[in-house]
Amino acid sequence: MSQSPVPLPFIDGLRDAANLRLPGSGRAWLDTARRENLEAFVAGGLPDTRAEAWKYTALRALGQRRFALGDPAATAHSIDPHTLILPGVEGPRLVFVNGVFRADLSRLEALPAGLSLQPLSQVLEQDPEPLRFALSRHYREAGDAFARLNAALAGDGVVLRVAAGARINKPVQICFVGAPAQGDLAWHVRNVIEVGEGAKLGLVEHHLYNTPHKHLGTLVSDIVLQNDASLQHVLLQNAAEESTLIRHGSLHLGARSQAALHVLELGGALVRHDLHAELHGDEARLDTRGVFVLRGRQHVDTQLSIRHQALNTASESIWRGVADERSRGVFRGAIVVAEGADGTDASLNNKNLLLSALAEIDTKPELEIYADEVKAAHGATIGQLDERALFYLRSRGLPQAEARALLTTAFCRAVFASLPNETLRDHFSEALLAHLP
Amino acid sequence: MTIESTTVDTDSTALRDNAEVAAALGRRYEAGFVTEIETDSLPPGLSEDIVRQLSALKGEPEWMTEWRLKAYRHWLTMPTPHWAKLNIGPIDFQAISYYASPKNRPKSLDEVDPKLLEAYDKLGVPLHERAKLAGVAVDAVFDSVSVGTTFRKELAEVGVIFCSMSEAIREHPELVQKYLGSVVPVGDNYFAALNSAVFSDGSFVFIPKGVRCPMELSTYFRINAGHTGQFERTLIIAEEGAYVSYLEGCTAPMRDENQLHAAVVELVALEKANIKYSTVQNWYPGDEEGRGGIFNFVTKRGDCRGDDSKISWTQVETGSAITWKYPSCVLRGDRSVGEFYSVALTHHRQQADTGTKMIHIGKGTKSKIVSKGISAGRSSNSYRGLVKMEKGAEGARNYTQCDSLLIGKRCGAHTFPYMEVKNPSATVEHEATTSKISDDQLFYCLSRGISEEDAVSMIVDGFCKQVFRELPMEFAVEAKKLLEISLEGAVG
Repeated sequence: MSQSPVPLPFIDGLRDAANLRLPGSGRAWLDTARRENLEAFVAGGLPDTRAEAWKYTALRALGQRRFALGDPAATAHSIDPHTLILPGVEGPRLVFVNGVFRADLSRLEALPAGLSLQPLSQVLEQDPEPLRFALSRHYREAGDAFARLNAALAGDGVVLRVAAGARINKPVQICFVGAPAQGDLAWHVRNVIEVGEGAKLGLVEHHLYNTPHKHLGTLVSDIVLQNDASLQHVLLQNAAEESTLIRHGSLHLGARSQAALHVLELGGALVRHDLHAELHGDEARLDTRGVFVLRGRQHVDTQLSIRHQALNTASESIWRGVADERSRGVFRGAIVVAEGADGTDASLNNKNLLLSALAEIDTKPELEIYADEVKAAHGATIGQLDERALFYLRSRGLPQAEARALLTTAFCRAVFASLPNETLRDHFSEALLAHLP
Repeated sequence: MTIESTTVDTDSTALRDNAEVAAALGRRYEAGFVTEIETDSLPPGLSEDIVRQLSALKGEPEWMTEWRLKAYRHWLTMPTPHWAKLNIGPIDFQAISYYASPKNRPKSLDEVDPKLLEAYDKLGVPLHERAKLAGVAVDAVFDSVSVGTTFRKELAEVGVIFCSMSEAIREHPELVQKYLGSVVPVGDNYFAALNSAVFSDGSFVFIPKGVRCPMELSTYFRINAGHTGQFERTLIIAEEGAYVSYLEGCTAPMRDENQLHAAVVELVALEKANIKYSTVQNWYPGDEEGRGGIFNFVTKRGDCRGDDSKISWTQVETGSAITWKYPSCVLRGDRSVGEFYSVALTHHRQQADTGTKMIHIGKGTKSKIVSKGISAGRSSNSYRGLVKMEKGAEGARNYTQCDSLLIGKRCGAHTFPYMEVKNPSATVEHEATTSKISDDQLFYCLSRGISEEDAVSMIVDGFCKQVFRELPMEFAVEAKKLLEISLEGAVG
């Protein structure tokens, strides 16, 4: 990116970032990592659409905005605890408001044996040494600008460990709540999650808000599954309508480990979700399911990259997209099978509904195969609701809007059929229905 | 080296005996000979002067020279493209000679240097009497110039113009001025701009209103001289209701250096016109270690300008060290149809990045893409395609199928389809699979006493059938043979 003589307001807003006091400041290695990442971000700037990874998501408007570096009142916002409740989710809970940990809203007492769960801010003040490797990482890819920014400025997040062999039956809930602050705010959250050998974890990530706001949130998540571990990860994204959310997840799967991810994207004005999964150990398995339902001027960009690099690994991805009104949905699903990753079985299926003449869908499934004993397939479609089905429902007396909603919900259902938590599954269907225009 | 002609010989290809297989195995790149012919060429290098000299050498009118210079000046401002999936060293554009022509320019086909005819004979191009038997009108381009066009008279009777580009510039300037660069603009991309500046020859086809071209038209391209590049330009115009089927074949000698081939092909289909464009590309692919070979950077685009028009691309790509080629269709007219059928085979260290673009603009437009990629050895084979439904593409449809076949453990097969839809009544479907030759199939063939080589070639042939079916018969036979030869040594 060229250096313009007048810095973008977005970059200019970071002028004082170097002097910011964040949890953990004062530790030489952490200060260095933060400074270097900040310098790299400022030097590289925001990616433009010439960068392949950002081809369909323009950040010009974002670049013109200025965000406050922190919310001094983050611990004071009053949040109705009832809004945090998700049916079927009753385990421990960690709550962040505008990116800052809130002990008063969290539920950390009586953690099950084998589970260690702490906010990053506490860990950084107490003993950040075990996180040294994760937090000193440099993001070099051209598309990783926000991960760089996050590495420079994140002061809170989730640090979760499941001891080897522990089975955490009640899912852990992590909530990110947006609340209005003085002006637009940028918050940065960093999660480090490790599921030990043979351990089992359920994780529910919930993005919500109490009152509309226009914040920018970035979230970087590193999840490591040791051998034979298993993870059920559910993501319900219902952020404020005008907010921006950038999510950068990496998932490392050890031998015979299994991960399942279910994503429902509903909120946000500009949402970007990157997931890099690496099937690192033999016989690892990853299932991803996701759906975005867009209306208004929403722009949601999902970038999935699944890398098979061991023997007999499997991945199955089923994603649906619905774009109505003036929204734009972007999907990229890349499957990479590395040299020697024989026995890989990978499939990706992406179907999209384009419901309005002003909406747009861009999809790009990719296969990159360097081994020959593989089964790899992908399919993608973009289309509309079946006129005959609509006609049938209307002939049965259903009003147009209801008939459309019914068919749209049915279209998305395949994604959640595999969600084991039935109560949560029903809640997802309702949330989806409620979001339809 | 003895070389058989590659004209139709159905019996022997259908029932090949082992002797022939053995002979095929012994063959390397069949077309890899050099013809000792004196050539006139410009010194290597590229500048405005070279462009002017080239234009003067060809006796071009002022407007053409200006057109070239405009392209050259634009080219200078463009950055060298960055290659997504290709591994390519820098190209020294100053080391290339932009014009090489056989001396003794022939006045008519009868005066053509016998050595040249012999060269085309070796390649199986029916340039002379054999043309009559084959019933294919041929324009042959040797290095930079067209050396002869057959069947002119027969074509002229129905009003079809089929000649070299140089001739067209001289004799049909109004058509050339009207259509040249109207599909692929001068500044379209780096190599199209370069081609616009220095293109030396190519074929020109004009099918007037309502005429169905009575025979297949064909061009054979051959790079012969060393240190040259080939920059040909093909322009095909089909007026209202016209039909033409055009074939193109390419070969080059074996050399250690990389030679550049940067062609531009423009197709214009007016109302209800139908153009079928088939290519068998067999440029020298380089040796097993990836030394030498042609860099094949080609811009091919068809414009379905009229309603109900149709453009169909069929390609069999077996040659070139690097292929970069995306024959595209701009579906402007209502109910126009675009098709793309492709077989791309890479072996040793070849790299291919090929696919198509279907730009749907008109109402009720349809497109179909069938792409078959075969990679063997240490090669890399990518399909990269774009299907775009613009706002006005009411009820448009696309169906895409991409299949890749891997032979060996060190090759790569990739699929990068882009789908962009802005119209809610348009439908886009894409499917892709990657697999290897199934052990079951192979075992079955072996148990029937079919040798491994034969079995593989049978299976590959079956894999490509959907595309071969689209080729004119003579080409289908040749394509099948080409695949066999190119795959030699890929198994085991």
